[in-house]
Amino acid sequence: MAVTTSLPGTAEQGAPAGGTRGASPGSGSSPGVTRPSGPERDTRVRRTLYAVGGVLAALVFVVPLLLALVRAGQPGDVVVAAPDGRFLDLSWVNFRLILDQPEIWRGIVNSVVVSVSTAVLTAVLATLAGYGFAKFGFRGRGVLFGLVLVTLMVPFQAILTPLYLQMNAMRLTDSLLGLVLFYTTVNLPFCVFVMRNAFESVPGEIEDSAHVDGAGTLRMIVSVLRPLVLPGAATAALYAFLASWTEFLGALTFLTDSSLYTLPVSLVNLQQGAYGQVDFGLLAAGSVVAMIPCVVLYVALQRYYVAGLASGAVKG
Amino acid sequence: MELTRRQLLALLGAGGATAALGGCATPTTAVDVGAPGFGEGARGTVEMWCRSDTVNGVQTVVDAFHAAQDRVRVRLTPIQNGQYVTKVATAIRGGRVPDVIDIDDIYSTMFAFRDVFTDLTPLVEDLALGDALSPGHLALATKDGRHYGVPFLGDFSVLFCNTELFDRAGLDVDEHTASFDGILEAARAISALDGDTYGWSYPGNSSGALGFTVQPHVWATGTDLIAGDVGDQRGNVAGNDALRRTLDLERTLWQEQLVPPGCFADDASRWSADYVAGRLGMFPAGYGIVAPNASPELLERSRVVLLPGPDGGRAFFDGGDNLCMPQGGKNPEAAAELIRFAVALEQQTRMPDGFYSPVRSDVVTPEFEAEHPLVVPTLRSLDAGYAPTTLAYNLIYNQQDGPWLRMFRRAVFDGEVDTAMDEAQTTYDRILRQAQA
Amino acid sequence: MSAARGTLTHPARTGLLLVAPAVAFVVVFVMVPLVSAVGISLTNLPLIGSWRFIGLENYASVLTDPTFWRAVGYTLLYTAIVTGPILLLGYALAVVVRANRRGATVLRTIFFVPYVIGLTTLSFLMLLEAQPDSGMVNVVLRGLGITDGSTAWLVDGPLASGLLCAMVIWAVSGLTMVLLMSGMQGIPREVYESAELDGATWWVRERTITVPLLRRTIAMTVVLSVIGSLLAFTQFYILTQGGPGSDTTTVVMAIYRRAFVQLQLGAATAMSLVLVVITGLVTAAQFWLLRERS
Repeated sequence: MAVTTSLPGTAEQGAPAGGTRGASPGSGSSPGVTRPSGPERDTRVRRTLYAVGGVLAALVFVVPLLLALVRAGQPGDVVVAAPDGRFLDLSWVNFRLILDQPEIWRGIVNSVVVSVSTAVLTAVLATLAGYGFAKFGFRGRGVLFGLVLVTLMVPFQAILTPLYLQMNAMRLTDSLLGLVLFYTTVNLPFCVFVMRNAFESVPGEIEDSAHVDGAGTLRMIVSVLRPLVLPGAATAALYAFLASWTEFLGALTFLTDSSLYTLPVSLVNLQQGAYGQVDFGLLAAGSVVAMIPCVVLYVALQRYYVAGLASGAVKG
Repeated sequence: MELTRRQLLALLGAGGATAALGGCATPTTAVDVGAPGFGEGARGTVEMWCRSDTVNGVQTVVDAFHAAQDRVRVRLTPIQNGQYVTKVATAIRGGRVPDVIDIDDIYSTMFAFRDVFTDLTPLVEDLALGDALSPGHLALATKDGRHYGVPFLGDFSVLFCNTELFDRAGLDVDEHTASFDGILEAARAISALDGDTYGWSYPGNSSGALGFTVQPHVWATGTDLIAGDVGDQRGNVAGNDALRRTLDLERTLWQEQLVPPGCFADDASRWSADYVAGRLGMFPAGYGIVAPNASPELLERSRVVLLPGPDGGRAFFDGGDNLCMPQGGKNPEAAAELIRFAVALEQQTRMPDGFYSPVRSDVVTPEFEAEHPLVVPTLRSLDAGYAPTTLAYNLIYNQQDGPWLRMFRRAVFDGEVDTAMDEAQTTYDRILRQAQA
Repeated sequence: MSAARGTLTHPARTGLLLVAPAVAFVVVFVMVPLVSAVGISLTNLPLIGSWRFIGLENYASVLTDPTFWRAVGYTLLYTAIVTGPILLLGYALAVVVRANRRGATVLRTIFFVPYVIGLTTLSFLMLLEAQPDSGMVNVVLRGLGITDGSTAWLVDGPLASGLLCAMVIWAVSGLTMVLLMSGMQGIPREVYESAELDGATWWVRERTITVPLLRRTIAMTVVLSVIGSLLAFTQFYILTQGGPGSDTTTVVMAIYRRAFVQLQLGAATAMSLVLVVITGLVTAAQFWLLRERS
């Protein structure tokens, strides 16, 4: 199912995705806010268990990431040496190297350009389509919506080769534009789904009264409905950004000019010694740079992210 | 009008397929390098790709080119070995090719075979070197009598001999490296000298390195492990007597502990370590493997001979790089000028400075021989150099899970020579069939 | 809900125009290649050079190719290893965070962050820590006295696979957690309370209430997890390049190699379609196994 491709970085993972069809019983559209009190009663034993278990688990999850930060501050030769006194002598040397080493820096820029463009394009197209599917009746609506959803079932890995040929024929390989179009397509089904749900929950009266005021379609979306659908659009944009930021196979296949490489591909080239002797400190720093936007965006926009998942899980 | 979904899909599918398939025949007007006046007034930039393994040699030539004139500038991009074929192929398909590529000669076959390189026969003929220009290199880029690449840089497999150890054992280098019997005798004698001297060595876990140094024993008899013309090849493994005797020799060397025990797991990452430490009597390798790491004294004490066949004959692996011009490059004139410069006598003479071998034997003068004695034996016998012309070299000989390494290890370390050869025959055939589909 | 066929305020044509761009993208970049895939798989299309129609030859050669089936086998093995633990760990994490205790939100964020970071970046970090002598994995093992810390994890098939599976389970369980958690939070308290009054222990309550009610969600989670595992590529490419040899080569990696290293697009496309069939069969089997039984 291509839903696996539309969620952040799930394109090649063993990852379940948000577009699940199983309806979980009755769970409403609560955007990830924890409900008051789960099934357990709050006894002291349970509380201690929770505290201990929670802390241990948290450590397991947090420590590797902290380690990554430490590695990014270690010069390359310290990273590859058995830990000694220099382990915690952190510095900015790797990050300075990033600025000096054009390949990684360019990779970052390309990734930013591609991911932001994908996020914007996906959000726009998904909003339009979501509105159309939700509020408009036209012949073939069911068929077209089904078409968009069926795409969720097609993993792009299965069409990698013919897609490569086709993009080549369309002159879209070796171009960031081509990559953006590809990423947008991969994210559209899920985001259209989310946006349609968002629009469907908008009461018809709002539109009717706006029509009375003479609002055209565009103004309807942008001004009238905006506050109601902005969360959905934000979700769509966030998903699309995260999915594109770490996507690998597509970037590897469709880009051959090294000046166009996105960050993951630049890092792989670095690691395989294409830029000379492998500097693992630089690799660590590059990875941390790849890490930070994901974490920041997720933490800041958690609400939208989990809402998207819930929307997909529930309304499916 | 609304198309039914089926009709729509069919239309688009047909359209897409046509577009996709049609996109593969990119018609580029072929450049005629031999046309009168071609290349005059060449200027501008030349886009050049090179192997990251040989970037030093290429950079030297490029620097010299820049120093010699100022009309043409070269933009050099080193590409990692593992990605080389992919990058060139996708660049060709995408229509954005460099003007010149310095490509592992083994890979030039698959591209020449598919008609995507410019015909450079006039350039080769202008040199008028005949067999003095590495025939092995040329053969790999030749199709139907036309040359699609120009030899540039040599990386030949040879047998290094530590004359000091030979003298101590009372052996003669030429005599004892002329046949398998001689080798075995020498190996025994040298291994008996000391606790940690050995007569021979091979990297038993490196497919590519073994292909480089072991195959010439078979080639010296005039046969190869692949038979037939490109496009219609099959394995020539089972029943190959020269191969059997070669594997038997390597097996015997292992069984009698005439090679260091590290050979079992040696993946050639520190290939020359034993020889450079003076512990090996005979060491099949390449000039570029030994020379950068060896002390001048050891090099003085070393001699280089070609690898022998079971009962005589000599051969070596004609490795290295060809220079080719993909069709559709933007500046073919300047590219041709660069190629001419790179293969000229002056540049070739300086090849050993970068630990490569020249590809033309007319560099050998008394001065040259005095300065680079270890490079001369192969140049003197360029016609004994060979490399298999096939589309599947990479898959058969350069993969750690390929049939070549598996056969070698099974025959040499497990002692099952016949089974190993039969098994390899099947795999060779399958891979060749697939590659030629 | 939405209006029926085009109304004055929502003309049908506007609706079509609104959905047209998205549909166009999907058709052009997914449907068309999918259809042309069939055609291409019947040729010997190389990455460069001329091609010809060869009918079902590709399929014959793919279906008898031991390297292809080894990749399939390895991928299935990998899938089998990671699916269960991902579900179990995700479930356990969901249990921890579903209550509205202090810090639950923080924990939930922490557990989910690795997933958000993505397997690509995590693979690079794992690369650093799997190095002999210097990588944390080895340092810890040496500290615990289990090994001497010089294991080169990534050059040995089973060792690399083990490490990789551990990483994937760790990273992906966060997603399972979130999906299950939403479901869990929808189960009314009263159901648990009455069960508790009847003397049911926590374990029994979980087994008889939560799991059955979450059945559909769990099933979906597993199905999608399996599909994702069957299509795995990135972490293998980064950590082992499919090596040593092809010991850790997954199917998608085999397809990629066939297309872009061996330059045979026709054959690679045939392999892709066989992969689609295999994925379909595995999914169908799961649906059947996990079907609702009354």
